[in-house]
Amino acid sequence: MATETTTLPTDQKLIEARNLSQEFSMPNGKTLKVLEGVNLCVQKREVVALLGPSGCGKSTLLRILAGLIPPSKGEVLSHDQPLAGLNAGVSIVFQSFALFPWMTVAENIQTALKSRGFPAGEIEERAQKAIQMVGLAGFEETYPRELSGGMKQRVGIARALSVDPEILFMDEPFSHVDALTAESLRAEVIDIWAAHDKNPSSVLLVSHDIPEVVYMADRIVVLGTHPGHILKIIENKLPRPRDYRSPEFLKMVDQLHDVITGHEIPDAPEPVLAPNELAPAEALPDASPSIMVGVLEYLDAREGREDLFKIAAETDKEFGEVIKLVKALELLDFVDTPKRQVVLTPDGQRFVKATSQQRQVIWREQLLKLRIFKQVYDILAKHPRSKLDAEIVQEVIIFNLPSENYEKTFETFRQWARFGNLFAYDEDTGKIGFPRKRASRANRAKAKDEPQDPTKPEAAEPPPGGSAPPAA
Amino acid sequence: MIQFKKIWGEATSFLARYQKIWWIDLALILGLIGLVFGVMTVAGEWTGAHRPSVDIDLSPWALPKYAFFSLCRGLLAYGLSLAFTLAYGYWAAKDRMAEKVLIPMLDILQSIPVLGFMPGLVLALVTVFPHSNMGLELAAVLMIFTGQVWNMTFSFYQSLKSVPQYLQEAAAVYGFTPLQKALKLEIPFSALGLIWNSMMSMAGGWFFLTVSEAFQLGNQDFRLPGLGSYMSVAAEKGDDAARAWGVLAMVVMIVALDQLLWRPLVVWGQKFRVEEGGGEEAPGSWFLDFLRRSEIVRLFQGLFKPKTVPAAPAEAPKPPSPAHQGLVKVFSLLCFIALVAAMAFGGFKMVELFLKVTPGQWWLIIEEALATLGRVLVTIGLAALWTVPLGLKIGLSPRLARLVQPFVQVAASFPAPMLFSYVLILMKWAGVSLNWGSVALMLLGAQWYLLFNVVAGAMAIPSDLLEASRMYGFTGWARFTRVLLPGIFPYLITGMVTAAGGTWNASIVAEYVTDKGQTLTAFGLGSQISQAAEGADFPLLAASVVVMSILVVTFNRLVWKPLYRLAEEKYSLSK
Repeated sequence: MATETTTLPTDQKLIEARNLSQEFSMPNGKTLKVLEGVNLCVQKREVVALLGPSGCGKSTLLRILAGLIPPSKGEVLSHDQPLAGLNAGVSIVFQSFALFPWMTVAENIQTALKSRGFPAGEIEERAQKAIQMVGLAGFEETYPRELSGGMKQRVGIARALSVDPEILFMDEPFSHVDALTAESLRAEVIDIWAAHDKNPSSVLLVSHDIPEVVYMADRIVVLGTHPGHILKIIENKLPRPRDYRSPEFLKMVDQLHDVITGHEIPDAPEPVLAPNELAPAEALPDASPSIMVGVLEYLDAREGREDLFKIAAETDKEFGEVIKLVKALELLDFVDTPKRQVVLTPDGQRFVKATSQQRQVIWREQLLKLRIFKQVYDILAKHPRSKLDAEIVQEVIIFNLPSENYEKTFETFRQWARFGNLFAYDEDTGKIGFPRKRASRANRAKAKDEPQDPTKPEAAEPPPGGSAPPAA
Repeated sequence: MIQFKKIWGEATSFLARYQKIWWIDLALILGLIGLVFGVMTVAGEWTGAHRPSVDIDLSPWALPKYAFFSLCRGLLAYGLSLAFTLAYGYWAAKDRMAEKVLIPMLDILQSIPVLGFMPGLVLALVTVFPHSNMGLELAAVLMIFTGQVWNMTFSFYQSLKSVPQYLQEAAAVYGFTPLQKALKLEIPFSALGLIWNSMMSMAGGWFFLTVSEAFQLGNQDFRLPGLGSYMSVAAEKGDDAARAWGVLAMVVMIVALDQLLWRPLVVWGQKFRVEEGGGEEAPGSWFLDFLRRSEIVRLFQGLFKPKTVPAAPAEAPKPPSPAHQGLVKVFSLLCFIALVAAMAFGGFKMVELFLKVTPGQWWLIIEEALATLGRVLVTIGLAALWTVPLGLKIGLSPRLARLVQPFVQVAASFPAPMLFSYVLILMKWAGVSLNWGSVALMLLGAQWYLLFNVVAGAMAIPSDLLEASRMYGFTGWARFTRVLLPGIFPYLITGMVTAAGGTWNASIVAEYVTDKGQTLTAFGLGSQISQAAEGADFPLLAASVVVMSILVVTFNRLVWKPLYRLAEEKYSLSK
């Protein structure tokens, strides 16, 4: 695990995290680890980026450094002093802008200045300067709801800069802004930062956008998931202004791709299992089946293989999202992932070529190779007519995956099972059972309009699936 | 020449502007003078010699004065409600420990009928102010207050709990003090909900105006000058003309409040909307436009706008010191202890009272409770039976909805007890006893909530759903059961919950009616409460009130809450 060097002269360090860990307690009393053992330092005059897929705890880390949440373990130092409460040298640009809708542009900025304790005489001038700096002159009396996303974020940036922060924190600042506007905003923020004699001295950026990080940051901190930790810190010495199309830039992007995939989908050899033995349960990535099928179709159209980051770029998805989908597909044995490539397996090929009914059967077969689905199936098969309470299924999940968020996993479990018509979940009763056969459902629907035919009894429900259930 | 023309033009346009403003300002000044005069009259009345039962002048010329007195009571009660709401809502939202007690308690307080508070309030306050009318006036104000306050408090608490995370973080990052956070974030965020609920609350407060201003406690009659007393005396004496005038005055008062207070507030409150985009048409208010055009108002705004204060020494925001935080914690703990102690004391006193109630009386109370429960359910059912089809008809036609909505709104705010005597005439003519007739009286108040909600629900059904149902040939019953009824379901439930709460309360006045010197009673808990209050039988009163509260709370938990959840999860169209 890479750690930050702490041998720097202390007057260069603005903020430092030492051995930070963060845990949240879940409703069932268990704790969910979000961050573990993070050591990080932001020095004067640098742009640091935290890069990672969603769920790696990067926003949490930012909030701990800002003093918004206290860490569960470890400590934060600001100018070598332990941080108590809010970090006064920090202001934040929020992903969702966080503008007060009932205040005009000018009021939003002035209120921030006022509560930060600036002298009343300076407030108007400072606000005006910040407004001009981000090109909002003329919009002072406008309410945020009348502005586009890009303009709103300009207000957010102006507000953050107006209080003269030593470090500007930016939490995915451009993910709700259209791509073209984002590009110009990035350049403007870097220009403002580059003025040497003025604050902000440094910028801490949280992002999941690799080119954005390479464009802006001097150092890129790559975070891994489960729980969030620092994977690698990469120095980015590319000269400014940077060009998104230059070969060096693209090389850096590529390097980051390799770091991320090397961690998220490692090329580990498959464990050797005896026949009929099930692999230990793996976490279910919360991927939606229909989008997973979309990825398979996409691969099929590209002769069965494609670069993971190309998929992300072409489908306009966050790479973390694509990693999740690919992991899910890998779990079901539909794809393999040598390095950054995503390749259809024979099972994947078979699935793509199949009709929609056959697809359901294949999906079901693959699900039953997973421990959790198989265990629930076995319990149900003993009493084919009975229904299981959702809590029992959740118990199975907690038993197999103690460190996962069981509610989220249960949601994914339901979605996947539903898609393969393996189990049905009744929302009204909160129970899980085998689905009724299609024929009987049609009968029931008909029965509402016409008197029921007594000669046609409701079809018994043999559990579906590839194999016959064990005798009850 | 050109120069002259320009100057002339500027001068005339200035004058023209000035002239227009002059009228507005004159009207405003006259209004202010009237207000000052009115307030002085009220003050004289309050501090005047103690007169428990004032003689009411039934001539229509006395009505403006009475209406003004009642209005003052209503507004004063509203001011109290607002203060209570802010304090209680804040406490409940900020103090985790107190929240666990305060919120269920609010639920219970909400279910206690207004008359349950009456004897305690009156006796206590009359003892505190033995020589002036102050005690009695305050008691009336507090009774109106108990009809207004609870749903405002709930709304404010819920708003406070749902302030978005990112706005809270922004406030924290910029070092808002708790006071700044309240003024710049939390209250603005709750403002719109609070305004809407204030409108509802004010209407709820009027419902018991007749009871709050004129009541009997033991062998003593209490009557304060006001519209409610006017109506009750008119009913007692059977003066039809006075009754009609009273109804008219009430309608005028409701419409005036709507136009002069609520409308402008709602329009002004639009700036506190949080959601993006302005899809629906923005409401307008002529009175707010009127005020905005006034020079005087602008002058006052200038006076109260903070001038740039001389520079204060700049300091980085200080995080609240541990000592200060400790103090806050100790204070809230003390408040909590006081609260628990008060509840324990109240509970103890209550048990003491209960020991005086005989088993036979308990049994009777329970039988009566069941009778009233039956009436409440029948009332809601009957109301739904006619409001659903009519409400759908109105709501699905935008033109009709625009036309009818203001009337429904006024009808919903109108205190139904003021119309009871008209229904009683019909009942007498049909030969129905109050045991059945009280349902009609209860219906009079309840149905409007339902109609109002059904209309709103029908208007909110997305037009593509209606088009789809037309495309697939849904007509008649199928259209009603598959599309329209599910479409309005959440609104229907909301309407039913509100109406049921109101109907329980209404049973007190509907099951025990005095008209033309004659007293009619029905067998029921509401009638029991009225009689116990009149006879100053406090054990019996406490027992009946508690039974009613328990019944209401249990019914809410077991019936309305699950239905509400179903509506939210399955039938919500906003997802």
